[in-house]
Amino acid sequence: MNNAFNNLVIFNGYPLAIVVAVTMHAGLLMLLLYLQSGNRVEALELVQPTVVKALFIDENPQVRNQRVIEQRRIQREQEQRQAAEAQRRREEQQAEQARRDAAEQARQEQARQEEARAEAQRQAALREQELRDQRRAEELRQQREQEVRDAEQRRQQELAEAERRRQREEAERARQAEAEAAAAAEAARNEFELVQSATGLIQQLVQEHWSRPPSARNGMRAIIQIRMLPTGEVTEAIITQSSGDPAFDRSAENAVHRAAPFSELQDLPINVFNANFRSLSLIFEPQDLLN
Amino acid sequence: MNELSPIQLILDASFEVKIVMIILLALSVISWVIIVQRYLVLNAAKSGVRSFEERFWSGMDLSQLYKEGTQMQKEDIQIVGMENIFRAGFKEFMRLRQQASVDKEAIMEGAQRAMRVAFAREEEKLERHLPFLATVGSVSPYIGLFGTVIGIMYAFIGLAGQSQATLQVVAPGIAEALIATAMGLFAAIPAVVAYNRYSALLDAITSSYVTFSDEFSSILHRQVHSN
Repeated sequence: MNNAFNNLVIFNGYPLAIVVAVTMHAGLLMLLLYLQSGNRVEALELVQPTVVKALFIDENPQVRNQRVIEQRRIQREQEQRQAAEAQRRREEQQAEQARRDAAEQARQEQARQEEARAEAQRQAALREQELRDQRRAEELRQQREQEVRDAEQRRQQELAEAERRRQREEAERARQAEAEAAAAAEAARNEFELVQSATGLIQQLVQEHWSRPPSARNGMRAIIQIRMLPTGEVTEAIITQSSGDPAFDRSAENAVHRAAPFSELQDLPINVFNANFRSLSLIFEPQDLLN
Repeated sequence: MNELSPIQLILDASFEVKIVMIILLALSVISWVIIVQRYLVLNAAKSGVRSFEERFWSGMDLSQLYKEGTQMQKEDIQIVGMENIFRAGFKEFMRLRQQASVDKEAIMEGAQRAMRVAFAREEEKLERHLPFLATVGSVSPYIGLFGTVIGIMYAFIGLAGQSQATLQVVAPGIAEALIATAMGLFAAIPAVVAYNRYSALLDAITSSYVTFSDEFSSILHRQVHSN
């Protein structure tokens, strides 16, 4: 009757007890690990709500600015291309004109030579000096021909020179365009940084002053358009898109008014301010509520 | 740290909190060892009481019962609880009776004394380690709380260095600290439950021992005075 227990209670039951206790703890630990690995995503969502209280779109000044800059660049390139085209056409016309002029001249010259030769032959036939005359005429002719050849050569040289000049100018223009583009990019980057930091600042200030009503729910979305002076004062805040909850809209509006003035905007260059902050849209969208 | 799980929290805990957690884990393991071991011992004692009482009141001759016990001892079967009390009292009774010079009252007294001693031994065997369970039950919540306080202290020290105190900054530290309390409670609850259960069982068993030794001494008393 007691045998079963007597066998269990060998060494007063300590070995069995130790095995049971250690196994139990190990099992519990495994269970915990298993549950954790299974529920990871859900647990993450529960424990870590997103930090973002308010989102900003500020009708995206960055994108707008980049678009404008891009457009300007394209326009400038087109203008440059057109100018280069016109230049090339003009040069071609000039070269053509020069060629035509030279041909005309040569033709006239030839006609004159023919005349002279005929005259000389007539004279030679008529007079005894004709030989001398003819020789002189011949010399003259040769000289003329030489001159024509020289003219031709000069013309070619001029053409080559023009071509070289054109190439040089083109290279110069390309270099200038490149430098301009680099400068524009640098300016855009600086502006981007300025805008970024100012936007972050406004966002932080508004978030700090935003106290949401109890009726606020995740997924609500109110857009408020504000107009600012370069001093950072808010002159106007209009609700452009209502969340559907008047209390929520009012809280967003109040947040803007309480956070104003954004005196840090005074440090911005006036052109940056005008381009980005004169009118700004703020999106209020709670995402960290637990309901 | 983008993932918050208890395991991650334990691994990321500060040194002091880790020490506390290790202590609590050890206490929990030891208390469970004791819980299981006491369960076996007390259950063996309880079933020993039942089976021995059955045999004792079956009308069997007492010397026959004693001889059976001796046989069991020879076979290396452990004799538990009530039978030990019976054997001690009966042995003393028989020895004293064989000596002619001893009077009846002295025989009874000797037998009762021997049973008292055996009873004390048995009770001591059953009671062993139970105070440890009581200690774990009452102290481990405090140890866990200590770990929590240390952890929260570090969380706030870390918070002092932050310019902006958000819930996200404090939360991991506090969660980490609370793990220690959870572990303290995890160790304490089974220990307290087991302690209460086992002391009730122990009371029942010892009272049945007392009852038995009284009944047995009344039987011996009858035998002494019958002749």
